[in-house]
Amino acid sequence: MKFKNKLYTILGAGILLTTSACDSFLDVNENPNSPEDAPISGLLTNSTYETSLNVQRIGSTTSNYVQYLASPNPGSSSDTMDPVNFSGTWFSLYNVMTDLNEIIRKAEESGANHYLGAGQILMALNLGMTVDIFGDVPFSESFNFETVTPSYDNDEELYVQVISLLDQGIANLQEETSISIGADDFIYGGSIDNWIKLGHSLKARFLLHTKGTSTYNENEVLAAVASGFQSNEDDATVTFFEQRFNPWAQVAINNANLLLGGWISEQFVQALDGTSYPTVDPRLPLMIGTTDEGEFVGTVNGAGRGDAPEQGARSTLIPGQYYTSTTSPLLIATFAELKFIEAEVALSSDPGRAYAAYLAGIEAHMDMLNVSEEDKQAYLADPSVSVGAGALTLDDIMKEKWVAMFLHPETWNDARRFDYAYKDMTTPENLNPDLNGNYIRRLAYPDSEVSRNGANVPEVTLLDRIWWNQ
Amino acid sequence: MKKSYAYSLLFLMGLLCFNPLYAQVSVSGTVTTSGDGLPLPGVSIVVEGTTQGAVTSIDGTYTISAPSTESVLVFSFIGYETQRRTVGNNSTINVVMSEEASELNEVIVTAFGISQEKKALGYAAQSIDSEAITKTRQQNVVNALQGQVAGVQVTNSGGAPGQSARIIIRGINSLDPSANNQPLFVVDGVPVDNSTVESGGTPRGMSNRIADINPNDIESMSVLKGAAATALYGVRAANGAVIITTKKGKEGQIRVDFNSSLGFDQLVKKPKLQDEYGQGFSGERNDTSFWPSWGANIADENDPDYVYQDNWTRAFDTGIQFDNSISVSGGNEAATFYGSFGRLDQNGIIPFSTWDRTSAKLSGTIKVSEKFNFSGSMNYINSGGNRVPHDRFLERMMYWAETQDVRDYINEDGTMRTYGNTNPIYDARFATYEDNVNRIIGNINLNYSPTDWMTLSYRLGVDNYSDSRTEITPGPKGIDGERPLSSTGFIEETRINSRDITSNFYITLQKEWNSDWNTSLRLGNDIFERKFDRVTATGSNFVIPDFFNLNNTSQIFASQGKSIRRLVGFYGDLMVDYKNFLFLNVTGRNDISSTLPKSNNSFFYPSVNLGYVFSENFTLPDWVTFGKLRASWAQVGKDTNPHILGSFFVSPGVFPLDGQVGFSRNSTFGDPNLRPELTTSLEFGAQFAFFNNRVNLDVTYYKTNSKDQIIPVPISDATGFSSYITNAGEIENRGWEIVVGGTPIEKGNFRWDVSANLTSNTNEIVGIREGIEEIVVGSQFGYAGSRVTMILQEGQAYGNIFGSSYVRPGAPEGTTELDRSLPQLIGANGFPVRTGEQLILGNAVPKFFGGLRNDFTYKGFELSFLIDFRAGLQQYDQFGNFLSAFGKQEDSERRNDFVVFPGVLADGSQNTQEVWLGQGEGPDGVNYGAGYWRNYYRGVSENFVKDADFIKLRNITLAYNLQPSVIERTPFRTARISLAANNIILSTPWDGFDPESFSAGAGGNAVGFTGLGFPGVQSYFVTLNLGL
Repeated sequence: MKFKNKLYTILGAGILLTTSACDSFLDVNENPNSPEDAPISGLLTNSTYETSLNVQRIGSTTSNYVQYLASPNPGSSSDTMDPVNFSGTWFSLYNVMTDLNEIIRKAEESGANHYLGAGQILMALNLGMTVDIFGDVPFSESFNFETVTPSYDNDEELYVQVISLLDQGIANLQEETSISIGADDFIYGGSIDNWIKLGHSLKARFLLHTKGTSTYNENEVLAAVASGFQSNEDDATVTFFEQRFNPWAQVAINNANLLLGGWISEQFVQALDGTSYPTVDPRLPLMIGTTDEGEFVGTVNGAGRGDAPEQGARSTLIPGQYYTSTTSPLLIATFAELKFIEAEVALSSDPGRAYAAYLAGIEAHMDMLNVSEEDKQAYLADPSVSVGAGALTLDDIMKEKWVAMFLHPETWNDARRFDYAYKDMTTPENLNPDLNGNYIRRLAYPDSEVSRNGANVPEVTLLDRIWWNQ
Repeated sequence: MKKSYAYSLLFLMGLLCFNPLYAQVSVSGTVTTSGDGLPLPGVSIVVEGTTQGAVTSIDGTYTISAPSTESVLVFSFIGYETQRRTVGNNSTINVVMSEEASELNEVIVTAFGISQEKKALGYAAQSIDSEAITKTRQQNVVNALQGQVAGVQVTNSGGAPGQSARIIIRGINSLDPSANNQPLFVVDGVPVDNSTVESGGTPRGMSNRIADINPNDIESMSVLKGAAATALYGVRAANGAVIITTKKGKEGQIRVDFNSSLGFDQLVKKPKLQDEYGQGFSGERNDTSFWPSWGANIADENDPDYVYQDNWTRAFDTGIQFDNSISVSGGNEAATFYGSFGRLDQNGIIPFSTWDRTSAKLSGTIKVSEKFNFSGSMNYINSGGNRVPHDRFLERMMYWAETQDVRDYINEDGTMRTYGNTNPIYDARFATYEDNVNRIIGNINLNYSPTDWMTLSYRLGVDNYSDSRTEITPGPKGIDGERPLSSTGFIEETRINSRDITSNFYITLQKEWNSDWNTSLRLGNDIFERKFDRVTATGSNFVIPDFFNLNNTSQIFASQGKSIRRLVGFYGDLMVDYKNFLFLNVTGRNDISSTLPKSNNSFFYPSVNLGYVFSENFTLPDWVTFGKLRASWAQVGKDTNPHILGSFFVSPGVFPLDGQVGFSRNSTFGDPNLRPELTTSLEFGAQFAFFNNRVNLDVTYYKTNSKDQIIPVPISDATGFSSYITNAGEIENRGWEIVVGGTPIEKGNFRWDVSANLTSNTNEIVGIREGIEEIVVGSQFGYAGSRVTMILQEGQAYGNIFGSSYVRPGAPEGTTELDRSLPQLIGANGFPVRTGEQLILGNAVPKFFGGLRNDFTYKGFELSFLIDFRAGLQQYDQFGNFLSAFGKQEDSERRNDFVVFPGVLADGSQNTQEVWLGQGEGPDGVNYGAGYWRNYYRGVSENFVKDADFIKLRNITLAYNLQPSVIERTPFRTARISLAANNIILSTPWDGFDPESFSAGAGGNAVGFTGLGFPGVQSYFVTLNLGL
């Protein structure tokens, strides 16, 4: 019996010791690979980089709607304006907004006003782009993880937030800051003046969308324009890297390797090659490639390439041009765009200012592409271009803005406001029959939202217009 | 809570009190076996009706005191028939024990390496012995289980040397797409790592780590299926366990065994291919075209430079494997030892694919005294090889022109010879990926029995490996006109270090209360730790061509991932045996895991099972030899992966860019209040033997529910996260397992044994989470909108494959499943109309599978064969999609035909329009563009989701054992020569390579996608076994 008692004592003590030692033995779950916090500069690096990609991601879809690009395959859903699943783009937009929310929170805590301002401007841009393509989206219940099924906010109310974020951003950028932005900023490398100009330029862009609504105020837009970009030098771009190619360059390289993409719409080719308009645009050979025979041949949206082979018989994006070099910049907002905004806004009240801005916009884009002075002057001198202040129409402005904004998603906002009234533009072949012969007016909510947050996703059709396009 | 369990275990121990009796008659003697007459140690001797007992010593002797001369001594030993002797006036009683003929009394190794009589188990368990393992000639022991065990589904991921195989017991139990659904592997009582670490880039067909074990070292493998069988291994065995027992030395003469086997592998099956059309497009020949086979009719060209090259046969080699092993074993009363050395060299059928394995093992047992013994074992393994990029190889085969010689791949200066496209063999040769694994698996066991009713045991196990991988893709050599594999070239060095340590201490208390009641109680503590560290450095752009070192690259990226997981468990296991016909087993375990939140990291789960051998309780008709009913109920908890709680920031892989490192909040959020998962399983079974064991039958029904699953729930990206790891969802598996076997003929020297097993499994996703409709397990590319996706949805079975299909006007509104019997809609142009709407096209999990094994012996000859099958599943055939896109499939020989597609027009009338299948302008003047297969067929997923049932002759072996009369005249103890063939008959509706292939590798759950996997092989072996 003695032995048994001793044994029990030893066992009991052993088990007790083991259990108490357990706590520290088992306390090894801290993540050794990923930090629980990240520096604000690293967050800005990724946010500037990803924002430029978000512009490109949306542009890669809307370029088919506005007929810059056409699919080589017949009945391709992006050409025919079928509902497409935008789960990836949606994720990217909210992923950046999540990080921007972190930047704003951290900057407020630490008095890093420049980060705060830049974060607010980028938040306004990403939120504004999201609203422009989807309409109502979640925002007020986002990022705080109080619900896994955030409700959707009204798009018009979100626009108030976009403008407010821009105003706050501009104001904060003018404050003292506890931490300065530097090379971690892929857009401006820390130039605060440029950030302020970007804030104003974006304000002009988003306010322009509201033209035709009750809140629209021409002078407000022109004031924003005046404080915005002053030259191409001020453009908001992210220049790509040897380690990471520009995504349009990648499209062109892939197409050359027979992963087809980046085929040019017949609409675009014919607008610049003298078919739809009397002039031959000198920018055409700087923007797109030719067939093996050296001709510019577009592809009809929705029709596919027909019997054309997969290479050499159609114009496509080709590697090495302004938009498609491996280290080309991705354009977020440009001086050229701002000039066309000015032209459109001033057109009714001050045609002289509008005409000057229109010409300046063309010139700015040609300078960007390095069009020779001779070609530039020849084009600007063509009577179909230099129509004079008195004869300038919205059509002229929209046509030139359409060219100058090649591949940019802002063109789809223009197109919807302009009712797709570009010269000779027709609905694609094999148009989605649900559109009843009309052009698409919004994107479908992504499958990921429908499957994860279905109860909150608004019931909409692709013909339902978002608030500023009523 | 933790402490109260510990106390309750102590309390249970206290139940076992002792009340010794005094004896009057002393009896002694020796127990021997009837077979070889050798003394039998460890035989239990009990005085019937008392608690008095003794055990024979190592020399088979015993001494026992009996109360009177009327006392009856009962001699029993596992696997032998129980003997009864009345004491009478004998002071010496020698007993000869004979083996029980029936396999019903077979011994099965269960938790912690404890041998148990199968008869006593209250749950289904099956084991296979060394012969059944080595006969299959499988180098991966997982494959050796194929078709041999009910409820166990083993799938090869492909035919590469050393390629992983996946094992699933009783269905998939987790909704987590990345969950490990495979069982725990335990070698000699110590859990070992069986993970598969796939390559980062293109699939390379890596090994599952259990492939390191040399099958020749294995004595037996038992499969413990339900949670009942595995409650004692804790959370890690929630998917079942495979218990491997290695060979040990035996007392007696030193034995030397030598095995040598030479094998040859061939492609078992390939898709039906066209051989009539060559390189070019639109029916026009072009010898530099990208298009491999949309060109001219070869016969019409009648040109020796434009002939069918039969590349799909000639690109593959005959694989060779050469396996040698030698073992030495022996021992005496005090110690035994076993040592072995094995070497396997294997070359696969894709050129330059290799794998080799060198293993050395030493184990021994030492009996220090009657009370104390210890044993240990150490296994060193070196394995690895060159893993060819099989997926890319087969993709490049797709692009390679049928009229260009694929074997003519290299120029004299070492650059690639090609007409334009990348040559697959050149790529396989120079784009290398070599792994080199050094692994040590060791264990030490101590057993101390201070009294005859108590044993203290301790076992420490270590499984430590380093996996060193080097991937090289050369850049340009700087030779004019070369076609390099990469414009920059790169080298990637990966170093993986993994270490598992298991510590297990337990006390066994045994008590034979009287001849009716027998109990044994085991109480223990189990500690586990896994440390894993992986460092990867990638250098690209070689400064000096073909000098492959990180120092010679102009850009270097590095990354690291490490983890640590610890588990502490306390357990108890009580077995009660009443009159040797009623067996009750109750277990309880409490685990504490480092991976769960501290407030929820300790969890308890119990099990109970009952076995009732009614044939020993009732008198049954003569022809019923044995009958048993069993029932079990068990729960098992499950923790999660380490380091997932809360939210983190990550630096996306693209950084650094221009010296800047960006950060982003990780889109996964781990619930800080995570609870352990709980799996509850219920099992009923019956086992019968008839006609003196000529026929036996074992039937099991099981039902397993896994609740509170820890899964990454996909949530709205607008929350700031995309995935929320939390407790959600339930999955159910239920099914039947039937094992039928017997010895239909045993006459003279002839014997025929047969064993068959059949399993049916039904899976249902009971729930996911409120508001969450689906979980995507994975998806695979298909051309022009034929991508397929495996999606889990509530109320459906695991494994549904979704994709595009033809429009069928007759389908009811809102239909989710494709009904292929309905007529297709034919468009105005005469071709069927496609819809991108995602419908369920099939399910990738088999509803039935099983195997049949036959063994015939006549004198020294043995003939055996193993057939296995699976049925009721579909797979996505990515090969088929590519073949149709490039005009390589046999069907494309119809390319100059007119057809009328059966179906209905939009107005409901039958289609009668004739259309041409070729490319360009048809004879009817209509322009058909890229033609039927490229414009229509390849873009419709339903064309490629097809039945993947099969029946395989997995193995057939003919062996001859030298007869005693002959062998006596040789220096050998045994000699055997055998011829075997694997997988030589394959019957399947599947048109393609062997359907038993999937691209995810054993670690992945997206099993329904073949990808461009390493094609399956058939093999032929000649094997020599010699014993000294």
